[in-house]
Amino acid sequence: MATPDELLEFLPGSDCGQCGLTCAEFAAALSRGDLAPEDCPVLHEPDFAGFIDALHELLGPPAAPAPAMHLDPDRCNGCGICVAMCEYHLGNCDEARLGRGPRPADRVVFKVVNGAVVVLRQDLCTRLIQAAEKCNKCADHCPTGAITLT
Amino acid sequence: MICTGCGCLCDDLDLTVAEGQLLEVANVCLWGLSRFFPCKRSHPRKERRRILKPLARLNGRPREVSYETALEQAAEILGAARRPLLYGLTNTGSRAQEAALHLARKLRARLEPADLAFTAPYYHSLRKHGLYWAPLEVIRDEADTVLFWGANPLHSCPRHPVRYSVFARGRFTERGVEDRRVAAVDLYRTEVAKFCHLFVQVEPGRELQLLSGIREHLEGAPGPGPAVKGTRKLAGFLSQGDFGVIFFGRGATYNQGFALLDELAGLAARLGEERPFVLFPLSADFNAAGLYQLLFNELGSPEAPDFGHESGLLTTYATADWGEFDAVLVVGADPWWFLPEEQALALQARRVPVVSLSPYANRTTASARVVFPTALAGLEAAEVAYRMDGLPVVLKQVLPAAWPTDREILLDLAKAI
Ligand code: SF4
Ligand code: SF4
Ligand code: SF4
Ligand code: SF4
Repeated sequence: MATPDELLEFLPGSDCGQCGLTCAEFAAALSRGDLAPEDCPVLHEPDFAGFIDALHELLGPPAAPAPAMHLDPDRCNGCGICVAMCEYHLGNCDEARLGRGPRPADRVVFKVVNGAVVVLRQDLCTRLIQAAEKCNKCADHCPTGAITLT
Repeated sequence: MICTGCGCLCDDLDLTVAEGQLLEVANVCLWGLSRFFPCKRSHPRKERRRILKPLARLNGRPREVSYETALEQAAEILGAARRPLLYGLTNTGSRAQEAALHLARKLRARLEPADLAFTAPYYHSLRKHGLYWAPLEVIRDEADTVLFWGANPLHSCPRHPVRYSVFARGRFTERGVEDRRVAAVDLYRTEVAKFCHLFVQVEPGRELQLLSGIREHLEGAPGPGPAVKGTRKLAGFLSQGDFGVIFFGRGATYNQGFALLDELAGLAARLGEERPFVLFPLSADFNAAGLYQLLFNELGSPEAPDFGHESGLLTTYATADWGEFDAVLVVGADPWWFLPEEQALALQARRVPVVSLSPYANRTTASARVVFPTALAGLEAAEVAYRMDGLPVVLKQVLPAAWPTDREILLDLAKAI
């Protein structure tokens, strides 16, 4: 995958701020996968025709498929332990960290709905981001063995 | 939105409602789900049937009748009874409980909480030993030593470990489970063992011996002879830490309830001499605490009252013998589910009439003479409930109700008698 510097080559470089960032920050956000080339309005102007495609090429195929997380709804009792123990939630969702249910707008990997855990954003799972040390917290702490990570 | 699934009364649920229909409930555990959708507790795919109309038996068969007819028949049954029993109420809102107490007084009835056998030994020993008490938030923030005795919170109060007792991250327990030591004692190995640092499986009938062994160890004078396996480890476990709590469940009062709770309370009191140490029942019924609070406020004792006693009022911790009664009013409970078969048959043989208030069809409504369908507290009816630690919580109505509330029916009954 391309570095932010390589991506910056294909951004307007005007730091116009329409995206709320500078071009360099935009490039960094692109490489993290937080933003897409289409999010820069300037790139949609005729002067930059082809740039969006070029950026897509540099970025490569969209993030590799998330690691498979299998939830067995017949085992899950909705205790929410996995939601509270999740490594991603620990730093990103105060409610979950404190043991309460995430609010509807919170960005979470999974939460309990109708008595069982459902995955909402598997791409947020840190197993995907930090290849070095594979997180297993949710599966390790689930008392019913409802979670399998592969 | 608050869940009335158990004594935790979780307050962080999000409901999705469209056109008066409930579509989805976020953050509710499987146990609580049955308070929102017509399914069995912990069996989301097993449906429960809602009772739609009041029922009364005619020539032995239940028939749909008007509310007024049901009221008339129920009032006749209860009014004519010499020795009525009012049973249940631990899964009922506080305002309905007040109405039930009023009715019991008027009928000179015995009022028996559905979980009396579980809770009475606790209140009994509490009075004797005078223990620490702390709200769940304080336990979450401070308790570093947690023991479950005969309790499986994952079954009776599934979110209790994550919200308060094991995984919750609180002020002085910032790292959650890493800042706590957790142990459990039970007759069988349960899922709880997964997060316990120490799990002691005790043979049935040896719990008392285990407890007295722990006490001896704490006093530094272990008795002669072989101790129950785990005694020394548990004594070591309990003697450490700055704030302790013992949560007990139905397993602790299954037999020898009073003796066991007396020992447990004695142990908590002994440990409490050196640090705060709390003893707490894990209540699976959402408003058991409210009922005992009401009895305490109104009658000065959390015991079960009997207004039919010759002295005018007798309160007892002992559960009553159903053989005494000649009419039964059941509110928010299903005693026919666990009543020993001989007793149920004996009631049937004596043709003891039963009046039942329940949103759903169950074994009790199936054998009742009169059945009133009711609105669900905290979903179709506004109510008040007390969390297991005594915190009052206001329950709101979010869905329209096609049925009267428990309170309305109980007040109408009191008026009609
Ligand atoms: S909108 Fe585009 S051109 Fe403007 S600062 Fe952002 S990335 Fe740069
Ligand atoms: S920890 Fe396991 S049982 Fe509990 S909610 Fe998560 S998947 Fe379900
Ligand atoms: S593996 Fe770790 S980061 Fe991923 S969902 Fe489980 S606990 Fe969260
Ligand atoms: S723990 Fe109890 S109150 Fe909380 S969601 Fe589950 S059943 Fe409802």
